[in-house]
Amino acid sequence: MKKYILSSLLLSGLILTACNNNNNAATTDENGDEIVQLTGIFLAHPLTKDINDMQWLEDAEQAAGVDVNWETVTADWDQQIGPMLSAGDIPDIIVGPNAVTDAQHQQFKGMFVDFNQYLDQMPNVSALLGEKPVARDMATTLDGEIFGLSKYQRFWPESATKQYINQTWLDNLGLEVPTTWDELHEVLTAFRDNDANGSGDANDEIPFDYAPVGTGGFGFFHPTVLLASTGLTPVNGGGQGYFLEDGEVKNFFVDERYREFMVFMNSLYADQLLNPEVFTQEYVAFQSLGRGDGEYATVGYTYGWEAEDRFGTELADQYVSMPPLRVSDDYDADPSWSFDHYVLNYNTNMVQVSANTENIDAALRFTDQLYDEVTSMQILFGDLGTNIEDHGDGSYSVLPPEEETMDPGTWKWTSTWADNGPMYIRDDLDLELGVDMQATLEQLEPLEDTIDNIDRDNDVLPVSFLKYTTDDSNILSVNNAEIMNTAMTYFGQWVTEGGVEAQWDSYVEMMENSGLPENIEIMQEAYEQLGE
Amino acid sequence: MNLAKNETKSAKKTKNKTTDSKTQNGFLKEIRKNYQLWLMILPGFLVILIFNYIPMYGLQLAFRRFVPTEGITGGEFVGMQYFNQFFDSRMFSTLMINTIRISATTMVVGFIAPVLLALLINQIKHKRAKSIMQTTVYLPHFISIVVMVGMLTVFLSPQSGILNHFADMLGFPRRDFLGSTRFFVPTYVISEIWQRAGWNSIIYLAALSNVDPQLYESARMDGANRWQLVRHVEIPSLVPTMIILFILNMGGILNAGFEKIFLMQNPLNLPVAEVISTYVYKIGIIQNQFSYATAIGLFNTLINFGFLLLANYISKKVAKTSLF
Amino acid sequence: MMTAIKKYFSKTSTADILFDFLVAVLSLMVFIIIAYPIYFVIIASVSDSRLVTRGLVTLFPRGFSLYGYEQIFQDTRIWIGYMNTMIYTIGGTFINLLVTLPAAYALSRKDMRGRNFLTFFFAFTMFFNGGIIPTYLLFRDLGLIDSRWVFVIPTALNVFNLIIARTFFEHSIPNSLYEAAELDGCTHFQFFLKVALPLSKALISVIGLYYLVQHWNNFFTGLIFIRDYSKQPLQIVLRDILISNQAFQGGAGAGGGDIGGYAQQYAEQIKYAVIIVSTLPILAVYPFLQKYFEKGVMIGSIKG
Repeated sequence: MKKYILSSLLLSGLILTACNNNNNAATTDENGDEIVQLTGIFLAHPLTKDINDMQWLEDAEQAAGVDVNWETVTADWDQQIGPMLSAGDIPDIIVGPNAVTDAQHQQFKGMFVDFNQYLDQMPNVSALLGEKPVARDMATTLDGEIFGLSKYQRFWPESATKQYINQTWLDNLGLEVPTTWDELHEVLTAFRDNDANGSGDANDEIPFDYAPVGTGGFGFFHPTVLLASTGLTPVNGGGQGYFLEDGEVKNFFVDERYREFMVFMNSLYADQLLNPEVFTQEYVAFQSLGRGDGEYATVGYTYGWEAEDRFGTELADQYVSMPPLRVSDDYDADPSWSFDHYVLNYNTNMVQVSANTENIDAALRFTDQLYDEVTSMQILFGDLGTNIEDHGDGSYSVLPPEEETMDPGTWKWTSTWADNGPMYIRDDLDLELGVDMQATLEQLEPLEDTIDNIDRDNDVLPVSFLKYTTDDSNILSVNNAEIMNTAMTYFGQWVTEGGVEAQWDSYVEMMENSGLPENIEIMQEAYEQLGE
Repeated sequence: MNLAKNETKSAKKTKNKTTDSKTQNGFLKEIRKNYQLWLMILPGFLVILIFNYIPMYGLQLAFRRFVPTEGITGGEFVGMQYFNQFFDSRMFSTLMINTIRISATTMVVGFIAPVLLALLINQIKHKRAKSIMQTTVYLPHFISIVVMVGMLTVFLSPQSGILNHFADMLGFPRRDFLGSTRFFVPTYVISEIWQRAGWNSIIYLAALSNVDPQLYESARMDGANRWQLVRHVEIPSLVPTMIILFILNMGGILNAGFEKIFLMQNPLNLPVAEVISTYVYKIGIIQNQFSYATAIGLFNTLINFGFLLLANYISKKVAKTSLF
Repeated sequence: MMTAIKKYFSKTSTADILFDFLVAVLSLMVFIIIAYPIYFVIIASVSDSRLVTRGLVTLFPRGFSLYGYEQIFQDTRIWIGYMNTMIYTIGGTFINLLVTLPAAYALSRKDMRGRNFLTFFFAFTMFFNGGIIPTYLLFRDLGLIDSRWVFVIPTALNVFNLIIARTFFEHSIPNSLYEAAELDGCTHFQFFLKVALPLSKALISVIGLYYLVQHWNNFFTGLIFIRDYSKQPLQIVLRDILISNQAFQGGAGAGGGDIGGYAQQYAEQIKYAVIIVSTLPILAVYPFLQKYFEKGVMIGSIKG
């Protein structure tokens, strides 16, 4: 008898738990409205706290009548997504910057919802796509579908790279901020020869340093901004060399102006004005050199995002941000600068919804909620109250970090989805930014005239929203691997050993044999299609 | 052949059965006779069959255009297209030469070092010293590749690196080991050996510990000195393991370590540092070009396997030892 | 002490003295070359990262801080990771030995027909594999995705270890021993359990160690096949901690803003501290195994 009771108790316990599990899918909120259970993956920045602790997210889910069971991924997503897609093993909603690439959307057509069919249910998303043509272009495939939604975060600068020179050193040596390549050369020589930092040692100055250049191309904080002095406009720091000039796609690696740039870089290296370890150092070493030894600065001229970030609080005051250099006084072209506006303010494939989601309407409701004006602001900077102050009159300001030791950038990344989240920050939103953003925008000022002069329609290659067929994108990447191998090899060789003049013609021929003309043709076509 | 010889030697009773087993149902008879051996091998056999052989149908991706919605076997058959795409690449010969240069050097030097190290450690008489030495040499194996490369950049820095300080003191010129085509391969290989030799010597130490003490005794009685003991007792006892490991290593002729090479690459050493695996990675295979990736992987495998078979054949002829 | 030295010199030939001297010098050199970088890892794990990357930390820690270790141990996930890894490592290695040793023994018996074919069957998979997608599909169909079994079952047999073990059995168990046993009517099971295994302690230690470390370092399995964080092994947890601290160094490229001061100064420490945190437990196992390498098993005496 006892046994019987015991086992029936156990059994009912089992049934209870089993039923509980089943009931989960159909819980209701206090108003009796059904709450829909969804599953989601979010590609978090590694610093981001547990996303279940984010109040705005809870609010957004509640507003949409859903409860999302989130899994966060911080690393190696590119290795995880392949098998998941191939096995059809995906959650209802995937959120993250370019979480599913255009190429994957092409290959796995039918796996994700085409948002185009549902835009009438999504007022916020419709607003973004309607008011920001760039966001629409980025999201739309060649066949007119929208599988992944884009974002717009408005406040970020037109360029990530700013150039800094040590004003204290200039003052110590009685020099002016250089305005041309030649003047830069002279100033750097003075840095090399004198005890510019006043440490008593004339040899502890590194005149010029830039971020380590990989073998895949150029990026932020690279000397390609000097190349821009010749009048061409690199995109996102240079990438694989493709740029636009008068509506024509070109590649600077085979441009005469790049050749001049190489001659100049070699003259700097040969005169020992460049950090001798500029090719081999790691990024950490680059960062740590910029901070000097706390008392004396080590680097004279370099690039960075923001002075305090680059040089540390003690030394940041010594540096000034400076306008683009001209090649020389008699060089007729106006200098340009790296144009990164699109990549910093827009991104695509931020949200995708599985076509197999049981309750598509609920998933879409939640997705649209993410693009709500106030939700978007909180996605970017954090919760109202802790991270953002609501002044009650429709204006807001970003609050400083709670912990004093923390900087605003880290505060943002820790508190919320930040740049990794989807959002539509309205242009008329009245929000005062934090000190870090204010500083980086301030330090952009010397560059602003130049950047404003750039013809965005005809001289900026919109790399991030050119769309290709699967075949074309395969051709591009296979060719680019070969092209970059040659280009970066010669870049290293010409800077350190020179020889660009003698080898130029055979180099250009090699680049062309690697499929460069073919790639340019494909990109030109994609660019023109965009205009239509 | 080996088999028949052994049968006669070890199991005279079953001699006539051996001839029997050449008939049709020989396999069944073999199983009946040695069912215990077959039972012992069964779990391992099943594991390999299920987890390694079943997924092998995926190899046909190399010959098909992968269309995810139609699955691995559904894509259009394109024959050798992806192989040719790789062979026709202007980079093909450079990649092959670089890959083989790095892995062959690593293989040869990396094969000898653990043997020497094991022999050296085995000579240490002092028990504590021996045990400290053993524990130390196998530690580098646990250093992650990221840290390994980080340490290389610190130690080898032309300005501040400890190695160049030494070179300077001894009157040698300072070298940029990581930023030159000349020093890339030696740097890679030596650091690789530094990291793996100790770990790889463990198997040889185990083999040395199993040397029959009688052999030592009789050699001693013949008046052999320590050096002769090493040559005539210890080295011969390592040979079987060495041969097997050599054959296995030969099967890795194209396996240059991806992550380490990738992290060590920079524009200055790129002409010698671009190998098949890093190049494939740069094409962006991981995201979407499954077929191309599979084709290159298969090419790699075939070359590796070819070398393994070759080494196995030579070893069978010359040393009478082989994998199969 | 003195007598021992005297005894050494009187009883040892000149050639052997020279030999011992050479061994001592070489050992010392090798020891320094290997030990210094290890020592460097230790001091780098408690030094100011900025000084480390600039080559200013060589013999002693500078700018001492335990930031790296604090970051690792303040993360509660690490204990779950340790526990999971222990389970996978111990359970996995046990299964490995259970599968590998009998198979290796069987393959080593020259009276087993088809052993060459079988070895080929095994070795083939060291080279050819179907790739990640079919493997994922198979695991999904077998219910191994997000299951703890995925850490132990698919890798129950490592072919390299199998071949090493087979070679060892072939060359270290004298044939005469087996002949004698067979005359006594000993079956393969009995011979394997009562004779082969006890004679193979060194081998079992080596193979066991290989498997142990393979499980200990495995992070790919967790990465691809496990979703539920409570099942993730230590390596995944450590990797996450490492990456979140590397984010400090990402600079503005990572999206604007970067940490100043303290954290950046010490974030690099984590790289080094992680090595120590993940290696120490393995280091603790080694001495237990090491004693089996110390001295040969007395095959001769058994034979006699």
